[in-house]
Amino acid sequence: MINHDNNKFIIALVAWLMTTLINTTLMAKETAKETAKETAFDAVEFEQIKQLQMGRPWLMLLWSVDCPPCFKELKMISNLSQQVEGLAIVIVNTDEQVEASERQQIIDDYQLQQFQHFYFEDGKNDHNRFVIDPSWYGELPRSYFVDANGKFHGKSGLINEAILSKWLIPN
Amino acid sequence: MNQNINITRYIWLTLSALLLLSHTVAAENHKHMTADKGVKTSTQPCQSAEIRCAKTVTSAFAPNGDLWRLWSHDQRLHYQVSADKGQSFSASKQVDIAAENISARNENRPKIAFDKLNGVYLSWARAGEKKYTADVRFSYSADYGKQFSEPVTVNNDNLLTGHSFNELHVSADGQVSIVWLDGRLSYQLRKQGKEANGSAIFLAQANPSKNTAEFTNKQLANGTCVCCRIAIDVNQNAELAVFWRHIFGDNIREFALLTLNKKQQPSLLQISHDHWRINGCPHQGGGLSIDQNNRYHMVWFNQGDKGKGIFYASSIDAGKTLTTPLSIGKQSAQASHPHVIQNQNKVDIVWTQFTGTEHQLWSQSSIDNGKTFAPAKQLAQAKFGADRPFLIKHGNRNYISWQRPQQGHWITAL
Repeated sequence: MINHDNNKFIIALVAWLMTTLINTTLMAKETAKETAKETAFDAVEFEQIKQLQMGRPWLMLLWSVDCPPCFKELKMISNLSQQVEGLAIVIVNTDEQVEASERQQIIDDYQLQQFQHFYFEDGKNDHNRFVIDPSWYGELPRSYFVDANGKFHGKSGLINEAILSKWLIPN
Repeated sequence: MNQNINITRYIWLTLSALLLLSHTVAAENHKHMTADKGVKTSTQPCQSAEIRCAKTVTSAFAPNGDLWRLWSHDQRLHYQVSADKGQSFSASKQVDIAAENISARNENRPKIAFDKLNGVYLSWARAGEKKYTADVRFSYSADYGKQFSEPVTVNNDNLLTGHSFNELHVSADGQVSIVWLDGRLSYQLRKQGKEANGSAIFLAQANPSKNTAEFTNKQLANGTCVCCRIAIDVNQNAELAVFWRHIFGDNIREFALLTLNKKQQPSLLQISHDHWRINGCPHQGGGLSIDQNNRYHMVWFNQGDKGKGIFYASSIDAGKTLTTPLSIGKQSAQASHPHVIQNQNKVDIVWTQFTGTEHQLWSQSSIDNGKTFAPAKQLAQAKFGADRPFLIKHGNRNYISWQRPQQGHWITAL
């Protein structure tokens, strides 16, 4: 009788634990879905990005919340990513003085959560720009078409959607 | 009985496994949280209202020789006054107006100007809730800063669109001119389903000291770059001149100039011919300073096929003809954000460079009104980022104002 009560208690406990666990997991997934993971950009991260992408053509897009044409390029990428999965794109926000929530809102609005996102830490704008390309003056949007051998081809200003899709979607 | 023990054992095992799993999830979550916290503490943003933490600072001399500096923190404007040309400053004061979302970063920043009657004038852009919407705002003090008027919106279109990058000029008798980049024309075009490229330049004028506080709005140009600051000055005929980055043809971004001639409609003159084609944001406006003989001294930055870097040129006929543009600064050292001022026969130019680890403030001076320049000199450094440098003048001396976030505001006579 005592044993039976004990078992009942344990079963209730297990049920409660399982519900909690499932809820926690679901909530964690939900959070991940809502907010894209962002990493502070620096020279070490940049090396890792390059190594990770090596061997295939990829695109690095740099943008700012203060750059209306950048939004057009984000929209293009958003459209392309809905047609084709697994596009090789790395997105870097160059704003220093902007709240993370402001950037994330835009990433969410354009449904770009699946890409790798980086941001420039406060006071590091020029440093990071120099690490990426000392001949780039910060004009935006800035797109780097990186070939399979890791060679960078930089282009300032909004890029043509056909060129973008040709680069990212091989035939 | 045996079966009962087995069930109990099974339940306990499951329970332990679940406990372990839930602990792992919690630990994983905790790791994420710690990582986030780590990022936050490593950047250590400078958060106080003191000037050291400001992203931008605007400096100007009052007619009595006082040097004012103005910055924004947490939706408020703050200022300090120096009676000794920037050697020391009064305690900082907050402008006593309601909090609002003041734009103060990069090319966008509050402005300050004075008349000769103890008037202090402020103008700024107030960002709206919706992206790229803002209004140009204005407030003034008739008693040298003791009290400021309730801010008014300068743009009169009542449209939820962009109105920012404001510049302010106030004449000795209190005639206020505000010039800004205005999105109303492109907003209307888009509403009609038409394509629109660029902003327009609008001018508003009023004289609050003479009880004409209502700002008229007048369009000066259309099809400008949407994210570069404007430069303005007034010539010897009291005519306002405006220098900005315009869009020519298929996104060729060149500098243009116009002078508000009292008799004629202003006509736009193309100044730079560097052929920078970019459908984007250079975030680099120019500089304009007009001398006692109405020679216009201009600096700009471009990255075109025909011209790259900073250029200086002057014009004796308000932009119709131009001296050969002179290249300024070291292109390979990221020379950018130039500003210029003319005073007596002297022309001073400042700009910033970056070495990969350090920001540097550079200057170059001419004592023959821009015909020849002495070699460039490095004047100061910054470690944690740098604002654009600006030149201001009082009497026959020129001063540089350069905000260095976290390090402090740097102001000195040239």
